[in-house]
Amino acid sequence: MASRDVVAYRSPLTTALHVAAGLFVAVYLAWTILPIFIMFVSSFKDLLEAFKLPAVGDWGGVLVFFDFTPTAKHYFNLFGQLNFATYFRNSLAAALGSAVVSVVLGSMCAYALSRIDFRGKKDLFFWIISTRMAPVVAVMVPLYAIFRNLELVGTLPGLILAYTTFNLPFAIWILKGFFDNVPYAIEEAQMCDGATRLQAFRSILPLVAPGIGAFLVLCVLFAWNDFLFASIIGSGGAKTLPVATRELVQPQNIQWGSIMAAGVVTTLPMMLLGLLIRRYLVTGLTMGAVRE
Amino acid sequence: MAARTGGRFDLGRAATADAAAAVLPVRHVAGVRTIDYAPARLNPQPSRSYYFWMMAPAIVVLAAISLYPFFWLVWMSLHNVEVGAGPDTFVGFANFERLFTRDRKFWNGWSLLLQYSAMCLSLQIVLGVLLAVILNGSRYEKILVTVILMPMMMAPVIAGLVWYYLYNSTFGWYHWLLQSAGILGETSIVGSTSTAMLGLVIVDVWQWTPLITLITLAGMKRVPRDQLEANMVDGAGELRNFFAIVLPNLYPFLLIAILLRFMDNFRFIDVALTLTGGGPADATNILPVYLFDVSFQYFKLGRGAAIALTLLLVTILLGMLLVRLFEGPQSRRADMGSEG
Repeated sequence: MASRDVVAYRSPLTTALHVAAGLFVAVYLAWTILPIFIMFVSSFKDLLEAFKLPAVGDWGGVLVFFDFTPTAKHYFNLFGQLNFATYFRNSLAAALGSAVVSVVLGSMCAYALSRIDFRGKKDLFFWIISTRMAPVVAVMVPLYAIFRNLELVGTLPGLILAYTTFNLPFAIWILKGFFDNVPYAIEEAQMCDGATRLQAFRSILPLVAPGIGAFLVLCVLFAWNDFLFASIIGSGGAKTLPVATRELVQPQNIQWGSIMAAGVVTTLPMMLLGLLIRRYLVTGLTMGAVRE
Repeated sequence: MAARTGGRFDLGRAATADAAAAVLPVRHVAGVRTIDYAPARLNPQPSRSYYFWMMAPAIVVLAAISLYPFFWLVWMSLHNVEVGAGPDTFVGFANFERLFTRDRKFWNGWSLLLQYSAMCLSLQIVLGVLLAVILNGSRYEKILVTVILMPMMMAPVIAGLVWYYLYNSTFGWYHWLLQSAGILGETSIVGSTSTAMLGLVIVDVWQWTPLITLITLAGMKRVPRDQLEANMVDGAGELRNFFAIVLPNLYPFLLIAILLRFMDNFRFIDVALTLTGGGPADATNILPVYLFDVSFQYFKLGRGAAIALTLLLVTILLGMLLVRLFEGPQSRRADMGSEG
């Protein structure tokens, strides 16, 4: 704030407020990071060590948390005995497949929508966005019935198609905003130079490429993190990481070490991708309503 | 930006002429410089059918996976559909009648869903806005925001499992913390009917408060500077500035955040399914969880479809409200000029 220099004046009250603000942020950070940190550390603990807790009220005993010998056996267990390499591949194929399908079809549609006007365009738009907003469970009831008839339940193509129900409308909606910002004059000039319509469309793609890339990543993220579709539509032949992790919870024997390791395996790639597209995150998560 | 009126492209013509002149052959006929050009090729505009063909694949796919299932949903809601229980029979509005008159869990589900959303949102708004106000313009804003948005990247079901571990009454660290602080007894927070809902709310607040912070921060960058300065010249302090100018400017952003989170609470039930599965004794049986149970535990798809339709209807109403707001805060779409 430019004028802060002029009125900056430290009363005891403002100092107290600043200290309180700093404290609040510190506590919030601890609260945000702790679950992730505990997941990460516990994935390297032996089961007995992971269950060690200080006595109730023994605040000094917190250090017990760090009292362990690191072991990677849960990771070996996941990829050795529990077949997680396959589930990882399934997750990747389903997420990437639906993201590519959505972004390719979506960018064509978004481009056309941004270039012409026609009657009922607003209604078409509303239909597209309401498809994205529809509750997953509600969509799944009829989708399950249809897929069962088509024998798509438990297959990767079925899962990709299911993910496309929320990724395609997302891609159309958000990419239209991007094409709206590209002046038509560029294509017009291209076509004057003898480019065909398709070449003209291709010529503006580099301009929107960063956005398209970011939203492709976001589509991957949405699909990767899904559990409901995967548990019903993908069950059987197309088990993904979240479903496989959830299945480690068994009534008699909960393999916490493996669950935490699987959590790290599932979460880490998405956190890295999230950092990669940090700039587009707000736009993507608010369906383009808010931009940074 | 192409300024368009009535679906025709006006701006850009000047630029086109320049571009054309640059590439067209220049000849000198009898000392006079002439330019060959083919008028028919200037200012080309692809036919409308070309654009419709580009739209077609996406629209067809989307119709196949959303419109077609929607009609199925309506059809199913009027029938008695049960997996592995013989042919589907037409029952008229019996499914709905049962929901509205006899199904206590249906109304309980709605009321719990509203309670759950209200608790989550009020906590998230308070924490999120407070955090944004503190972080805005601070030296460490960028790095801190990057750290706090980490939980959003986690798959909800993984978040549910991690918190299940933390809440565990024999080896969960958070349970130990709450117990040591004298807040909880022996039972886990998700194990008793009075606190289970709170357990779910805490996870949602943990995971999604950063979204509110991000949206608020984006909104705060757009608060008109001159208004703030004018107010300060009038002798307002930072606190009064915040309530008189910053907050009113944030309302549209917060409304968007609230609607988005509200709809997400309809969409995602991963955490509830993992942590409580609707229990204990239906204390957390919010409507989408109930719908999941009816459809995929008891496989009564007809009744499930009826519940799904009511859920869909409310979502669509909320969606209409949201789309209205899209034109609001930044008038971003308004200056595109294409949607009259």
